[in-house]
Amino acid sequence: MRLQKVTSLPPQAERVWQVAIHPTLPLVATASSDKTVRVISLRTYSSLSTIEGGHKRSIRSVAWKPGLTGESVLCTGSFDATIGIWRRYEHDLDVGNSQEGDEEEEEWRFALVLDGHESEVKSVAWSAGGNFLATCSRDKTVWIWEEIDEDNFETLEVMQEHTQDVKCVTWHPEEVLLASSSYDNTIRLYREGSEDWVCCSLLEGHIATVWTVEFEKPASPGYREEWGSRLASCSDDLSIKVWTRITRSGSAAEAKRAPPSILRGELIEENWIETSTLPRVHTRAIYNVSWSSKSGRIVSCGGDGRIVVYEEISTVDSEVVEGDERKPPKAEWKVVVELEGAHGVFEVNCVQWSKRWDKDAKGESDEVIVSCGDDGVVSVWELANS
Amino acid sequence: MDGKNANPTILNASDLPTRRQAQRKKVTSPLTSGLVPAYARDPFVGNKDTDFSNSDESEDDSVREPIDEQEIYDLIATISDPEHPLTLGELAVVNLQHIKVTDDRSAIISNVLVELTPTINHCSLATVIGLGVRVRLEQALPPRFRLDVRIREGTHATGEQVNKQLNDKERVASALENETLMGVVGKMLETCK
Repeated sequence: MRLQKVTSLPPQAERVWQVAIHPTLPLVATASSDKTVRVISLRTYSSLSTIEGGHKRSIRSVAWKPGLTGESVLCTGSFDATIGIWRRYEHDLDVGNSQEGDEEEEEWRFALVLDGHESEVKSVAWSAGGNFLATCSRDKTVWIWEEIDEDNFETLEVMQEHTQDVKCVTWHPEEVLLASSSYDNTIRLYREGSEDWVCCSLLEGHIATVWTVEFEKPASPGYREEWGSRLASCSDDLSIKVWTRITRSGSAAEAKRAPPSILRGELIEENWIETSTLPRVHTRAIYNVSWSSKSGRIVSCGGDGRIVVYEEISTVDSEVVEGDERKPPKAEWKVVVELEGAHGVFEVNCVQWSKRWDKDAKGESDEVIVSCGDDGVVSVWELANS
Repeated sequence: MDGKNANPTILNASDLPTRRQAQRKKVTSPLTSGLVPAYARDPFVGNKDTDFSNSDESEDDSVREPIDEQEIYDLIATISDPEHPLTLGELAVVNLQHIKVTDDRSAIISNVLVELTPTINHCSLATVIGLGVRVRLEQALPPRFRLDVRIREGTHATGEQVNKQLNDKERVASALENETLMGVVGKMLETCK
């Protein structure tokens, strides 16, 4: 297979850190050092609007609030230590091929600023239902916010479990389970306890900064009901790892096997183990991974300018039994395609799978990869049989 | 205790390795003396150690100019130390033999590794010096270069921590937006020619 470029958009003034795919509409939003967010149509690959004026420094992260109809809400996280919430009504967005104009530009409204972090905000993420917003910063904390009324956010929890910058926060696609990754080389998971949010798992194994973590979606073909959730992580140590949850308090299976725990803290604890390390291709820091819900493939990008796609090799379904403990099989992955110089000589900061929406889309399961880099360019790629 | 070395070893500026002398002669040739209009100038003369940013956009294999260790040294040896009225070359913080360039014509990406030797092993300004070196090289080199600026092993008490910071893209990007820090770096780079 090979990665074939579908298109590249004209560059933004500065580095694009992140691209965020809209959960239901054919839209992608960018987070850029030029302090703006650009919203791009994934149907026509044209720029629809530029959101500016809210942040004093680089916008590092952007996220679409899920579960909305008739309106889009974006959250932005900036090096200026603030978080912005932006709103826009979505009336017949797809009709008329992106008439760019001043009216359209005006439509994004800056709703509010969330203050609290002491230094650069690195990542923002909405929970699956859109009820909770998680943010993280160089100040070592992870914040959980709840929107109690429209434009009224309450801080539910401030967690300082990491010992260094928190680079990424991401939510489980179905459960109220949050993951964060850090400059301290670890990944932590959090759940809502009876009174407050608590860290329920610590994943150690990377030996350098963990840049991104992402859960596997249950719709993914590789998802295994009996083992449940998996998490992919990528790091400055040039590795990508897959972690699998082997025990979770409160689950039916767990209740049968384990006697009730006396310690309150244990009630919420989860046990995750490393079950795969993907083949090593990247030669510099791996900044991002994305796990496709359609094909089950993982795509990664990094400082070496490469985009790499991996596929799980289907294994014989045999679990490993060690003493009392059942363990999921170690899964092997192979490289499907590797592309050097995806953004010329520049670093690639983010890659995301998206449903394919353009005129060449072959059905509901067709997908593309959207990438962005230090060149300020957003590119769209298709996997083609060579 | 305060991380300041009151009595550093100083190298004589005229003993430092450089290619600058040879280049200055080239720059003062009739080609650039003003007798010849600018468009007639050889584009490969004179831009070598002055300004790479102009050539960034047109960079491709046909105009790709190889860069070696001496050139990197000349770019960073003239940076001033933030606490001494001396350059990083004179203080032997920057040394030619601790620079490694991999600039293979067939590869898309080239690499520069610079290892710094702080004047004392608890130098509190190691991070700022490293950032100055990074900024100087990022401004001067074409974008195909990936930079690794590190503290030479065994020469600093918290070398690994400093290295992690200096090579974290997000932290560096954020530092470049910090006016106070960039003020200090700007002063260090004033002595660069």
